[in-house]
Amino acid sequence: MLEKEKQFLTGHEIVIKACLDAEADVMYGYPITPTCEILSGWSNIGKQYLQTEDEIAAGFAVCGAVLAGKKAFTASAGPGHILLQDAFSMAEAMRLPFVMVIGQRGGPSSGTVIYSQQEVTLACYGGNGEGYRLVYSPSNAKELYELTRQAFNDAWHYRFPAVLLTDGYLLKTKSVFNLAEITKMVNIPAHALVPEDKVVHWPNIYTLEEELNEEINETKKDFSAISEEISKAESYKTDGIEYLVIAHGIVGAVAKMAVDELREKNIKVGLFRPITLRPFSKKQLDDLFVKNNIKNVVVVESSFGQLARIVRDELAPEIDATFTYIQKPGLGIEVEEIVEFMKKLKI
Amino acid sequence: MILKILLAGDGGQGIQTIAEIICRAAFQKNWHVSYIPNYGLEQRGGVSLSFIQISDKVIGYSKFTTPDILLIMSEQARARVKNYESGIMNYDVKDYAQKLEEQKIGKSSYNIFFLGLLVKYLEEKNVLKKEEVYELLEKKLGKKLNWEENKSIFQTCTL
Repeated sequence: MLEKEKQFLTGHEIVIKACLDAEADVMYGYPITPTCEILSGWSNIGKQYLQTEDEIAAGFAVCGAVLAGKKAFTASAGPGHILLQDAFSMAEAMRLPFVMVIGQRGGPSSGTVIYSQQEVTLACYGGNGEGYRLVYSPSNAKELYELTRQAFNDAWHYRFPAVLLTDGYLLKTKSVFNLAEITKMVNIPAHALVPEDKVVHWPNIYTLEEELNEEINETKKDFSAISEEISKAESYKTDGIEYLVIAHGIVGAVAKMAVDELREKNIKVGLFRPITLRPFSKKQLDDLFVKNNIKNVVVVESSFGQLARIVRDELAPEIDATFTYIQKPGLGIEVEEIVEFMKKLKI
Repeated sequence: MILKILLAGDGGQGIQTIAEIICRAAFQKNWHVSYIPNYGLEQRGGVSLSFIQISDKVIGYSKFTTPDILLIMSEQARARVKNYESGIMNYDVKDYAQKLEEQKIGKSSYNIFFLGLLVKYLEEKNVLKKEEVYELLEKKLGKKLNWEENKSIFQTCTL
């Protein structure tokens, strides 16, 4: 049957479609709002899955399956995401192509069930390591599809665990999805990481401090080497600006609309929207500041500064700029709020 | 053009059913459509909201506080949406009490009654076609109890 190119789909359905097109083999998971529909949708189309007793089991099942050469993934949120960080840390230690889809919900603890941007730190730096993982933050349905595909490809190509960091608003929204607008992508195939006929000693624990230190240094080197190549950000209307708004995910989409409105009112605002949070497009951001001599930055997010901390950390220390913030943990942010804030800032 | 529609009712009143039908009909007319349901943790009895946007441009964000069309189908829902601006078009169940009684419309069909009113307005604005909505409605409810009753409510309301 010929598939219609334009469809009316939920974010969940788009993620499932992307996982199918990425040729994912198996999903392990434990249902939690707002990602239940990914597990139920994946099982409903007859794909291989296992509903485990909890997220800890789901995470280690993903580790095991990818070692055996299966493209495996999981999906979770909030408290489930916390439990997954155990196995995800092991994936970071062993450089496993672990893919997880996170639908951020409010926190701490069970918080609220649909929306926030409070799992940024957890996704980027959760676990007892250094945060050598790939974190993608889609802002719309098209990116939700493309970055899911990208996460599988990058995880298997570069051998770093990957998180698609989304939220319940994006996942639950039903919108027009046009396959014709999607950039064509070739899949990086899965392969057995341990050959069946060989015995391999592949530890996630070391006897000597030096051994571990050496291992982490290697990982850092590899991560740095690919950072510029795979980090991604959108700079929008940034020529000759006085103010730079920084936002990610769906807040990034809202900020983009706010920039359009403010530009019509002749307020010189542009947007920097990180698409990957790890690795971060550091050079692109530094260059933007230097080129435009930007002195005023507004970081907008649905959390108390989880994105702002990353931005301040990544921005070259010699760059001197004043930071202001719109921070609403657990709440959506609307175009009008950003527009009003910027108008006041201008005065 | 962008049209923001907020539907508010109690869980179980069929708010999401009519939201889905309106969105599907608008999608068939090639509009950009965005729809996000919103309800609490309750299995039933909580407030159920539908945020719908229909536009000729790509829609960037699925939530809003300034609806153009606002439907309120219960007391509880009225309290829940009090922080939202009222729309250009407001449909409030309390203003239709007499009409609902005159036409002997049962509580389980209130959603179809208001679907009819909304569709009548949206067709006048060239957003969708009532025949197409009818087809979607029949597909959804045609084999269920009270179909004949719902069918006639819809047809009367869209006249």
